[in-house]
Amino acid sequence: MSRRDDAADRVLSLTLKAGAYTAFGLIVLGLFLQRIKGLSFSTAGLMVLLATPVIRIAVAGVQFLREHDLKYALVSLGVLAIVVLAYVLGIQT
Amino acid sequence: MTLVALVILVLIGICAGLFGALAGVGGGIIVTPLLAIYFGLPMHQAIGVTLLCVIATSTATSSQYVEHHVTDVRLGMTLELATTTGALLAALVASRIDRRTLAILFACFLLYSSGSMVRKAWTSRHEEREEVIPDYTPQKYPLGLLASFVAGGFSGLLGIGGGPIKVPVMYLFMKVPLRVAAATSNFMIGVTAATSAYIYWGRGDVRVNIAAPLVAGVFAGSLAGTRIAPKVRTFYILMLLVGVTGWLSVQMIYKLLTGGFR
Repeated sequence: MSRRDDAADRVLSLTLKAGAYTAFGLIVLGLFLQRIKGLSFSTAGLMVLLATPVIRIAVAGVQFLREHDLKYALVSLGVLAIVVLAYVLGIQT
Repeated sequence: MTLVALVILVLIGICAGLFGALAGVGGGIIVTPLLAIYFGLPMHQAIGVTLLCVIATSTATSSQYVEHHVTDVRLGMTLELATTTGALLAALVASRIDRRTLAILFACFLLYSSGSMVRKAWTSRHEEREEVIPDYTPQKYPLGLLASFVAGGFSGLLGIGGGPIKVPVMYLFMKVPLRVAAATSNFMIGVTAATSAYIYWGRGDVRVNIAAPLVAGVFAGSLAGTRIAPKVRTFYILMLLVGVTGWLSVQMIYKLLTGGFR
C-alpha cells in the first residue's frame, strides 16, 4: 500500500515542521523587534512560510525518485513547474 | 499600528488556527471577513493576507497527519496538478474583479460553508474514531481532478482552502476514507494557497504588518489545536464555527446592502 512508506513520510513531515517552526520563530522575533528594526524579520518569516510548500513538493519528488516511482516523480515535477510559473508571474514581474 | 490592533490580530490568528486544526475548516474563512468588515481592508488585501494564514494552518497541521500516514501523498500530489492550475488562473483573474463583486461571492461562499458545516456537525454527533484506515484505491480521477481545479479556483479568487469542495468529492466519488480525504485536502491547501499567494504578493496585496501578527497567531493556534484535538468533540467546535460564520455572513450582507466594500 502506497501510504505506508515510513521513511519518506518522516522526511516530508520533518520538512513541514522545519518550515513551520522557522517561519514562526522569525515572525515572532520580527514582532518583538518591530519597533527597533522595522519589519525585516517578519518579512523573512513570511518568505519562509511561502517557500515551505514549494520545498515540500521538491522533497516529495526526490523521495519518489529514490523509490524508483518515476510516474509520481513526474507528477511532482509538474506541480513544481506550475508553482514556479506562479512565482515568476507574481513576484518577479 | 497600535499595540491593541497588534494583539487583536494575534488573537484572531489564534482562533483561526484553532478552528483550522480542530474542525479542519475555517482557518481562512473567518479571517477575510473580519479584516474586510472591522479593519476596513480592501477585499483583495484581506484575501492576500488570508492566503498566508491558510498556508500556515496547512503547514503546521499536515506534518502531524503525514507522520501518522493518514495523508495520501500520491493522491494529494496528483490532485495538486489541478488545484495549482485553478489557483494560478483565478489569482490572475481576481485583480480584474471589483471589490464589491468579490465581497458578494465571498458572502455566498460563507453561507454555503455554514450550511455544509451544519451537515458535517450533524453527522459527527456520535462520531466514533475509525482507528484503522481501511484499504482503498482512489476511483474516478477525472472527476477528482475537475473538483480540485474548481476548488483551486475558489482558493485563488477568495483566499479560502477549498476543503468543503474537495473533501466530499474524494469521500463520496473517489471512495477515499473520510479521514484520509480530510488530511489529504489539508496537505494540498498549502501548495494551492502558496501558488495564488505569489500573485497577490507580487501585486502588493499582502501587507506584512497585518500578515505577520496574524500568521504568528495562526501557528500558535494550529500547533496547540493539533495537541488538544483528541480531547475535543468536533460537534461543539463546528457549532461554534457555524455561529461565527453565520454572524460574519450577516455582517457582510448588511455592509453590502448599505453600500460598503467600494
